[in-house]
Formats: sequence, C-alpha cells, structure tokens
Amino acid sequence: MITITINGKQYDVPEGKTLLRAAQDLGITIPSLCDHPDLTPHGGCRLCDVEVKGLRNPIAACTLPVSANMEVKTETDDLKDARKMILELMLVNYHGPLSIENGKPNYFLKWCEQYDVDIQKKMRKEPKYTVDSDPNPFIRVDLNQCILCTRCIRACAEIQGRFVWGLANRGIENQIIAGSGVPLLQARCESCGACVDYCPTGALSHKPSFGEMNTEKKVQTTCSYCGVGCNFDLNIINDQVIKITPNPNAPVNGKHLCVKGRYGYKFINHPDRLKQPMVREYLLNEGQKNPQEIGPWVEVDWDTALTIVAKKLIQIKQESGSDSIGLLTSAKCTNEENYLMNKLSRQVIGTHNIDHCARLCHSSTVSGLAMSFGSGAMSNTVQDIVDHAESIFIIGSNTTEQHPVIGSKIRQAIIKRKVKLIVADPRKIDIAEFSSIYLRHKAGTDVALINGLMHIILENNWQDQQYIDERCENFEEFRATLAGYTPEIVSSITGISVSELNKTAEMMATHKPMAVFWAMGITQHSTGVLNVLTLANLQMVLGNMGVNGGGVNPLRGQNNVQGACDMGGLPNVFPGYQSVTNQEFINKFDLAWHTKSPTGESDNKLSTKPGLTSTEMIPMAGEGKIRALYIMGENPLVTDPDVNHTRKCLQACDFIVLQEIFPSDTSTFADVLLPGVSFAEKDGTFTNTERRVQMVRQAITPKGSAKPDWEILSNLAKKILNEEQREVAGEFAGWDYKNASEIMEEIGSLTPSYAGINYNRLNNGESLHWPVKDPQHPGTPILHTGSFTRGKGKFHPTEHIDPKEMPDDEFPLLLTTGRVLYHWHAGEMTRRSSELLEVYPGAYIEVHPEDAIKYGIKQNQQITLNSRRGTTKGKALITDRVSPGLVFANFHFPGEQNTNNLTIAALDPVAKIPEYKVCAVKLSVE
Amino acid sequence: MEDQSSEQTYGLITPSFHLLLKEFPLNQPESREIIDEILHSFRDVPGGLMVILNEIQSKIGYISQPIQEYISLILNIPVSTITGVVSFYSFFTTKPRGDHTIKFCMGTACYVGGTPQLMRKAEQILDIQTGDTTPDNHITMEVCRCVGSCSQAPVVVVDEQLYGRVRPSKVPPLIRDIMKTYEDS
Repeated sequence: MITITINGKQYDVPEGKTLLRAAQDLGITIPSLCDHPDLTPHGGCRLCDVEVKGLRNPIAACTLPVSANMEVKTETDDLKDARKMILELMLVNYHGPLSIENGKPNYFLKWCEQYDVDIQKKMRKEPKYTVDSDPNPFIRVDLNQCILCTRCIRACAEIQGRFVWGLANRGIENQIIAGSGVPLLQARCESCGACVDYCPTGALSHKPSFGEMNTEKKVQTTCSYCGVGCNFDLNIINDQVIKITPNPNAPVNGKHLCVKGRYGYKFINHPDRLKQPMVREYLLNEGQKNPQEIGPWVEVDWDTALTIVAKKLIQIKQESGSDSIGLLTSAKCTNEENYLMNKLSRQVIGTHNIDHCARLCHSSTVSGLAMSFGSGAMSNTVQDIVDHAESIFIIGSNTTEQHPVIGSKIRQAIIKRKVKLIVADPRKIDIAEFSSIYLRHKAGTDVALINGLMHIILENNWQDQQYIDERCENFEEFRATLAGYTPEIVSSITGISVSELNKTAEMMATHKPMAVFWAMGITQHSTGVLNVLTLANLQMVLGNMGVNGGGVNPLRGQNNVQGACDMGGLPNVFPGYQSVTNQEFINKFDLAWHTKSPTGESDNKLSTKPGLTSTEMIPMAGEGKIRALYIMGENPLVTDPDVNHTRKCLQACDFIVLQEIFPSDTSTFADVLLPGVSFAEKDGTFTNTERRVQMVRQAITPKGSAKPDWEILSNLAKKILNEEQREVAGEFAGWDYKNASEIMEEIGSLTPSYAGINYNRLNNGESLHWPVKDPQHPGTPILHTGSFTRGKGKFHPTEHIDPKEMPDDEFPLLLTTGRVLYHWHAGEMTRRSSELLEVYPGAYIEVHPEDAIKYGIKQNQQITLNSRRGTTKGKALITDRVSPGLVFANFHFPGEQNTNNLTIAALDPVAKIPEYKVCAVKLSVE
Repeated sequence: MEDQSSEQTYGLITPSFHLLLKEFPLNQPESREIIDEILHSFRDVPGGLMVILNEIQSKIGYISQPIQEYISLILNIPVSTITGVVSFYSFFTTKPRGDHTIKFCMGTACYVGGTPQLMRKAEQILDIQTGDTTPDNHITMEVCRCVGSCSQAPVVVVDEQLYGRVRPSKVPPLIRDIMKTYEDS
C-alpha cells in the first residue's frame, strides 16, 4: 500500500493501480469516457485529465499508475474549463437525440450536462453519416453519435477476440470501421453485442430492443441455449421479456454473452407457443388410431388430457408390460423436471426405459471417462483452464460457434497469456486461426492421431512416469499397443505429416499443464468410446489430470445435459449415477419411492433390468416392441440419425405423448400434446458443462394454460397412481410438490453428489460444482485431485477402426455434420427468433472450391446431397474450411433441408451413440 | 467479391484464399509474385507492416481492399488495423493512380490561401472529382497534408515538382503542360 493525496485528503491505495481506478475504488468521481475497468487503458478522450503536483500539464488519470506521495487535484477550475472544451470539441461531430437514457445510458451527454455544455448549441446541426448504417440485425450503428473513444474496438479485440472494429482515416474524418470498411457481418462480426455494451453513447445500440425503456424488473437467470451456463438478466415489461442484459455477477461469463444468449429470446413470446393441451380426435371418441391418418387436434382441458394419458399408459402397461413404454426426458428442462421424469419412469411406470439426447451427444464421453477415471464429466472449470493452462488442445469442438463464450475465453487466454493452442479438426474451424498448430486430420482417424502422438511422446521419454506409476494402472499393456502407431503409419492413416506429428507431440510435452477440450467431433462416431479412452490415456501419459489448468473437458451441448444425466435420465442409472443393477441402490430407491395398494397385498418393486437407450427405443417402436413413448422437450424427427427411418418408427408407435413448447416436427406423430413452458416461465436449476449448478428463475407468467413441466409431471404421476390405486408409502414416494425447491431437497436426499445443494445456498450467490457432499461442502471445481474417482486411472489400449460407411464410387464424398453459431439444434427456438433467422435463413452446405469446380457449382446455388438413406437440399457455401472430398452440413432445418435424412444410425457398441460425423454421400446440382 | 452473389447473408465465413485469389490484382501472376515476395521478405521484421505497405504502394501502385485482406491473412493482422494504417497516410491509395498526380496541399496556410478554389478549377477542367483519375489514366487529383512550404501557399505538387503561390488562372497551363507530354509522343 502507498499513500497518495487526492483533493487534499490522504488515502492508502494498493500499488500497481492506475490513478483513475484507485480513485473510483475510493468513490471519487473522475469523469472518463474511453476508460472501462474491463478494457486496457487507452488515454484517448482526455476527460480524466487531473493535476498532479510537480507535473507541468494535466495528465490522464486512466494511464497514470499511482506512486507514493502523489498529490492530485481532480476538479480545479482549469480542469473544468479543459473538460468543457474537450466535450464541446467532441460535439462538433456529434448529432443525436438529447435524451441521456435512450434504451441505454449516454455517458457522453451526462458529462456534457455536468460541465454545463450547451449541447443543443454546440452539437452538429445535421447528421454526417447515415443513421442506422449497418444491416446487421442485432447491432444498430449510428456513427453520428460516435466520440471515437475506441471502447468498441478494444471490447471486440479483448473480450470477444474478434478484431472487427478498427479506426480509419484521420483528423475530422476519423471514424470507426468494421473490417476493411464493410458491413459488420461481412467483417466476420459474431454479433456478440460486446461493443454495444461498452459503447458509452448511442453510437452502438441493440437493434432488437432499440428504444425499449423503463424496464419494470430484472430477473437473473441461466441461459437456456448451450452448456456454458451463462447468467444474465431478463428485462421485463408487461409480463414480456423485452431484452436481455448481462449481469456482472454471472460466475461463468461475467458481462459477456453470445449472439444467441443475448438476442435469441423472441421465441419466448412467439405466436406458435403451445398454450392449451391437445389430443387427437380419436382419443375423445374412444376410437382406434389410424397410423396413416392420425386425425385432427382437439383442444382440451388439462384434466381431460392427463386422464387420457394416464389411462392409455396404464392400459399399455397392463397389456404389454412396463418395458413396452419408453420415456425421453429433456436436457433443455431443469434438474427438478428431469428428476421427476426419472421418478415417473422408474417408480410410477416401472421401467428403466428412460433416456435423452445425451445418448446422441456425449454418451461415449460418459462411458469412456467412467471406464478411465470413474466419472464422466468435465474435470476442470473454464476459468481454471483460462488462468492456468500452458497449452490447450481442441479436438472435435467448434468452440467459438458452439460454446461461444468459452471460445472467446480461450481466445483471451491466447491473446493475453500467450497460451499455445493446438487444434485438430477435419474442418478449418474459426478457432484454428488462433492455433499454434492446426492439424487437419481425416474424419474418423482420431484414435490413430492421438495414439501416434503418444507413441512419439513415449519414444522421447516425455511422459510423466512418476504420475503414471503412482496414479495409474495398466500402463504396460497400453504401451504395447502403441508400438504399431509409428509416425509413418499414423501419417498415412490421418493425412498429417510426420514432422507435424513430431512438432505437436513436442509442444504437448513441453507446455504443461495442457487442457483437452472436445465435443461431438470425438463422440459422434461408431468409435466414440475408443476416441474418449484415447484422450484420457493422453492426459494420463502427460500427467495432466487432477491439476489446475489441465484435465479432460468434454463441452456439453445443451444447457442442462449434464443435469439430465445427473438426474437419472439414463437407462442404466438412478440419479447420481447409482447403477440400476446394484442391489444396494435398488433397495435404497425401492424404500424411498415405495408405493403399495390400499389393502397392502401388492407392493411395487423397482425393475432390476437396465432400460433401453433412445437409439434402441425408437427402432423398437417401429417394430411394435415399444408401444408408447412419452417425450419431453425432444425432437427426434429432426435430430435422430437417419430420420426417414425414425419417421416410420414414430408413425408405427401406438401412443406418443409430447410435452413441448412448440408444435415441433415430432408433433406430427404425437397423440397428445402437453404445453410446457420456456425457461423464463419457471423455477429450477440447470447444471452446466462444468458441473456447476445454477438457478433458473421465473420472470413471467406461463403463456395461456401452459404449465411448468414439473407441475405437469407431478399431476400426471398423481393421476396414474390414483387410477392404479397405489398409495404412497416411502418417504419420497409422494408427488405433492409446492415448488421446485422441494424437489431439489428430495434430489439432495437421494443423490450423494447433490446432497449439499439447496435453493438457499444458490440464491445466496454460491456457485456449486458437484459433488457437493453436504450443506457445508464447498463443491468440487476440479475432479480427480489426489486420486481418481475410481481409485487409479486406468489405461485402456485402443485401436483405430475405420468409420462404418466410407466414400466409394457411388457415394464419393464424405459428409460430416454439425451446428452453426446462429442456430440451436433442431432450431425450434432460434428459427423463431427473427433476427437469428435473418442472418442464417436456411441450410448451407459447405463445399471445397475444388469440388465446386468439379461439380460446376456456384456460390449459393441450390444443391442436393444423397446418401443410401435419403436426400437433403441446401445452398452451396464454397469455402476452404472443408477439405476436398469433404462436405459439411448442419441439422438446424427440418424437412428436406435436414441433414439427418442422410446420416447413418451406425452405433458405438458400448455407448450406442450414432455416427453422425461420417457417412458417404453424392452431390448433385438442380 | 466476384462470385459471391448479393443474397449471401451468412457472414461467418473464414476468409477464403480461393475467393481472394480470384480478385484483381491477386489473380495476376506477376502482381501476386511481387506481393508475395514483399510479404515474405518483411513479414518477420518488427514493424514490418509499414515497410510492406510502402513496398506494395511503390511496386503495385495502390493497396486495394483485396490486397489488404490478403496481407491480413498472411500476416495474421486484423484487416481493420491494416485499413486503419492505409487510410491514415495519404501516401497510400486504395485505387491505382494515373501516370501523373496533382496534389493539392490542404495544410492550414494553403487552405486559407485558396486551395479549394484551385481544386474546383482543376475538377472542372479534368471533369473528375478530387481523389479520382481521368478515364484515360493520365492524371490523378489528390489532396495532401502540409508539405512544409507554407511560405509559398497555396502549393500544388505535380508528381515530384512543387509549384508555389498558385492562382486559379495558373491551373489550366499546369494541366496543359502535363497533357502536352502525351501529344508529343
């Protein structure tokens, strides 16, 4: 601490701070425009000039470090005059509305008023630039209000890592430009909105909420798009979400958001929202279902709808047994709702046939990591990696598009801490630009690539032998299998040169700790589990597990896919990964959920037979072995592989209940449609990719008669138990929940890893990573410190296996699938957020320029892809992002644009995950 | 961009060499060779961007948007930064200059001394705007910053030759002198 004097008073301030920041921390106001605590000091606006004893001229406080015995005056008459003049000079080029609060505060006008500047008189009389000059649908640009503080330039570079904004020309013509002076989107703007947030005037504003003022209330909640788990404030007027603003207290993202999180909220109030329960007409007439002509929808009240569902499920259960019913729970819903789905399935219906979309995304991660380490979740937190990693290895994750906020944090680490980045991906994804090494290996050769790298590491004795000896097992057997993966062989399999392999292995070995990130590029293969095991081997060889800045970091896709897995939304485990084949756990849940008949003659026992996965249930529905499906918030008709087959299966199913917020494609084949609510209309918790449990808070009332999903589930469960004349006997067998908090208490009692989590702690601002063993336990941000969850980390020998379907003469191109920044999964939400759809209006298929010449395709031309299973259509996007022979398509658009018409339902033998990432197609031009 | 139709709305495309290399002058092997040679020679020099821009301006004659994008990709410098530098210095142009350049000094003394009137006159005669080049590619009209000859204001610089105390009536003969070189040949 050093002593400084400000305006005659002495203060003790920490060394190393700038004078402006020190003064702000002391509550002393020094006017400033170009400075912001989150950004590097700029010293451009000169408004923060102060008088320092011993210096001849005033000096900018924002760039001046405090020093001992400094004597400062912040508000002298000279300074006031100087500030007034600076502001007046800025007004020469300024033209805009005079209101200080115009959707967001205008700090420039605020200081003008403070220093008695006659704004009206000094302001430029007519606009110099076009107002609203950029076509970007999210960001409104009005250069007439720009004072050239460059906060937008620094925000784009330092927060988002995109470098879109720059400063062009000079003198009076000085202005901010995007890229080389092109529209924002053309300058590769990702529309994150950070520049708008940091703009101190009205030069940049949020277009979708432009002019919206006087927010009635703000509700802090958790984003419902990806697994990053950003928190933000829903701004409410008249019971409607009118905009989303960042909340500085958000533990994961701070003030940063991505385009979907910040701007993709209009689906909440979309007219398509389901507001009333609906059943097919035949159900009301007690008629028979005609699978070819399912008949019209009829709106009914809740009681009628739930009675029909209850009776039908009981009937099917009596006729064909509990295991003829399957449930798909939802990674978009809360932990509480997923827990209730698991309870509905296991306790009320009596089957373990419950699964959800984790099957299609990270089931191979969960299986693989459980085999290696004993726990199938991300081991470190993002902040820990950003702060401590020396290198980052991204394989099979398009991080900046799929987990944008994590992507920008990784960019920040590279820019600020010079962390080395290695990217391995068949597509040259955006983050590859920031890499020290980019490996474009052939799709489906991940095992060979990683084994080859480990071969080189062991050859050179770069492994952490002490770590391996102390903490791992089965090393020698594993080592033996690597012998076959010489750099030459690996190079021929993967297409990566021997020298690149050597360089990569050396960088991994010399920059520790290294964190590995992966997503669908690793998991969605018929060798998904092998891929994951191989990455686990790599991290054990390098000794990167259980340390700060290292770990295995599978990025979970959905907002609550981690939670849905934790809550027993899987066919083989109760909540907290307690196996359904372990007698101890069966007894525990039997006791807790016990029901019996009123006379006591029959007790309900839990099934001991593990259930079916979603990729098994749906084909079995086609064969009549699964007769009823209860689907909550999933859309298999868009997202399942080979959807033409899925369509036939769903059509053949006797009875489908769909609990949804929109009439999705899947509703075409549903018999009952129950309107649930969006994340803005209910309370609960989401667990993000880092195992962090966060609150979701109700901000508006449900639309129409729609109900929170947990209420629907408990009402249905009560109805079924009542119809079956089963009485509640166990401590947690009942379904009378007054609120979501009570459900969390029940979860905590039955799930050791959630034992210490309750709403009080979360509402008090605690950020808890499971396992949280008791109400005092602080949570576990980093897994596997000291020892692995399973004891010793186990090396598993893995071998390269070709994907199931490779290109041939008839289908010569390799198709890989994925997502894009502006859309979300099946697109039900993002396609109903008008601005997102405006930027990305339909399916694009990425084609390499060489292939474009070969097939004679022009940019934007309509093209068709065919596989052995179906057809999809889209516009050609000619880009060297993909390599020759590889095409890339997304699955955000239904019907004939859906890529999953093409994909193959080849499953990983262990995890049953389909091989979305590789299939063979042919291309034709219309 | 050449084969990007106007309905291209998806902005998040990694800048693509293949598209850029279709753009003039990068699609001319001679030009591209010169640019590549310059980039190769100076890419690792500290502060190399200024040297590179200088060299390209001298050897190619201008630094157009595609060239800026190309430099950005090769040097891994944001294109907004490059555009900022190019637009800051009046020595750099984004369009090819004509055979001869007439520069009108806009320093304070020259401005007060009547540079705007000189420019109007020249614009009338040549039938182009300041900043543009005559269709026959003979003459480019440009504004420049103070050239340090304020005592002779207003000043006009034709190629490397400086003319002081220029009156509007002196503009037509100045231009005529340039045009003459073409008539002679």
